[in-house]
Amino acid sequence: MKKPIVSIKDFSLTLGGKLIIKNLSFDVFPGEVFAFLGSNGSGKTSTVRTLLGIYEPSGGELLVNGKSLTPDTAAIVGYLPEERGLYTRAKVLDTMIYFGELKGMEHETARQFSLAYLERVELADKANLKIKKLSGGQQQKIQLGVAIMGDPKLLVLDEPTKGLDPMNRKLLLDIVDELKQQGTAVIYITHLMEEVERLADQLLILKDGEARAYGSVAEVKKQFQSKSIEDVFVSIYNEKSSEVTHA
Amino acid sequence: MHKLRHIIRHEYLTIILQPSFWIVMIAIPLLMAAVIGLTVIGNQSSSQHVAEVVKSLHNVAIIDNSGLINHHVVTASKLQLAPTDQFASLRDQVRTGKLEALIVYPKDLATGRQYQIYLTSTDFTKLSGVTTLADNLLKTSLFLPLGSPQIIALAQTGATGDITMFKNGVVTGGFNDYIAPGLLIVLFYIIFAFSVSYMLTSVSEEKENRSMEMVLTYVKPRSLIVGKLLAVSLVSLTQVLFFALLAVIGYLVMVKTGNNIALPFGLAIDKISFHFWPMFFGISYLIIGFLMFAGFMTTAAAATTSAKEANNYSSVFFIGAFIPFYFITTIVTDPGNSIVHFLTFFPLTSPVITLIRNAVGNMSLAESWLALGTMGIFMLVSIWVAVRAFRLGALEYSQAIKLSTLFKRS
Repeated sequence: MKKPIVSIKDFSLTLGGKLIIKNLSFDVFPGEVFAFLGSNGSGKTSTVRTLLGIYEPSGGELLVNGKSLTPDTAAIVGYLPEERGLYTRAKVLDTMIYFGELKGMEHETARQFSLAYLERVELADKANLKIKKLSGGQQQKIQLGVAIMGDPKLLVLDEPTKGLDPMNRKLLLDIVDELKQQGTAVIYITHLMEEVERLADQLLILKDGEARAYGSVAEVKKQFQSKSIEDVFVSIYNEKSSEVTHA
Repeated sequence: MHKLRHIIRHEYLTIILQPSFWIVMIAIPLLMAAVIGLTVIGNQSSSQHVAEVVKSLHNVAIIDNSGLINHHVVTASKLQLAPTDQFASLRDQVRTGKLEALIVYPKDLATGRQYQIYLTSTDFTKLSGVTTLADNLLKTSLFLPLGSPQIIALAQTGATGDITMFKNGVVTGGFNDYIAPGLLIVLFYIIFAFSVSYMLTSVSEEKENRSMEMVLTYVKPRSLIVGKLLAVSLVSLTQVLFFALLAVIGYLVMVKTGNNIALPFGLAIDKISFHFWPMFFGISYLIIGFLMFAGFMTTAAAATTSAKEANNYSSVFFIGAFIPFYFITTIVTDPGNSIVHFLTFFPLTSPVITLIRNAVGNMSLAESWLALGTMGIFMLVSIWVAVRAFRLGALEYSQAIKLSTLFKRS
């Protein structure tokens, strides 16, 4: 039986006296794209931050490769947060190498990876420019590069295509596809349901900190008797009850 | 440990590779030199000009009702004393421009210490010239009975004291003993003005540009804060070495060109002395004070949502560091004063107060240790609060951390 890389069981989170997540459980397997869905404020980012060890859970357990993550063991994870940005006053290559080193890579390895990645995303000529000289889309490509440095076993992408033009969006989705083929598990947070339909193997829809739908794309559609995930999403958010549906 | 090294290198290089860092470092001494130079040249030129105006003043009438003005002094200036009863007529001549000026020394000059000047124009240079002339006539008349020019000069400018100070029955270096620990006060302000604010900028920028979340995935908040603190300390060291190098170059140029630097109170660069306890306590107060303020700045940056908001809070700390100068005379001359005791142990003022008191040697060994211990505790608290504020506020982009949240048990 395949072993999950991410295993979350009965996870609860209270922040500032407010219950954000209630008894959330799900697994993510290697080589799988796991779409983590929900409206703004539903608790997706808080869940991811807790999984990465930035927040402490109020209850339950969140394991990656069978262990709770800490900054010292997070090198196996690549993270592209929703609230993202880079050191605008630093140079592109220096920034990428710095993050590579924070992930435990050797300087030269991080440098080689960065140069190869910049070549691939057609930013090789910008390597020695300051980040602030790049456009928003170019900066986002650098952030993705930082996230995928060091061959992560788990990639967490929080609205990765937000603000990207169609060309760059395609490039990013191709990279995600490649990583998936190589066995990387991807937690993919998005509001774009066509991306879910295209990429996702499993999905979970979160509403008010609770899982409202969980399973493969086909299973969830069947469960809700809907033709699209968008319809499922809309019906869940139109519901008044808070019953969890596991397909 | 290797992550800490990467953080320190990244933070250090980010600051010192900025052109603005070196522009400010070079511009400040240049601007100071330019201001001092222009002030000296301007004052010299102004004094010369006034002296020339005084020499050219021959159409000036003088009335002496005090009996203190010596007529030989007046005639030596190619002027004449006028009779008292001509006051109205002479004043009218000034009004109509026939006379340049009228100086009247009143009867009660000795008690009232005021004389009158009537001037034909509103020319400020001429006013300075006439005032200088009136002053010179009065002072020279008063000093003339003293006899020799040397005694007159002595009476006018006074003399300096050749001071011998004893401590525990042994002759000390006098004011020269104050120089080395006194320079630590200057050093504190250089570091405070430049480096402490880097801590604020570094944390605020990381929050504002949203790079924090990616960093905190791989680095513990405490490691990040410690890394930043150590990097900023290295930046301070770079600045101190740079300014020290400039000072040495300046000194060597002065010596090479044969210019002697005249220092007040009998201070001499070659007689600067370094004593263990003042240097030990001075350096300790400097380092601990720096870390304490860096902690305050980090808290301000981590707890707020933008560099602008953090800067508003940080002004409180800047005021705290400059308050001691309002009490400088009391601190130096009356160390037993209760205000001085309070400010010595109050966190925002303690670094500067202790550095000043340590420099002039008015703290006992026991009080020095007590102040160091208290400051050390405040430093640890400030860094603890900074790390906590950082942990709570680093990813809070839309609202500032409340004070109650900061100290709430978690």
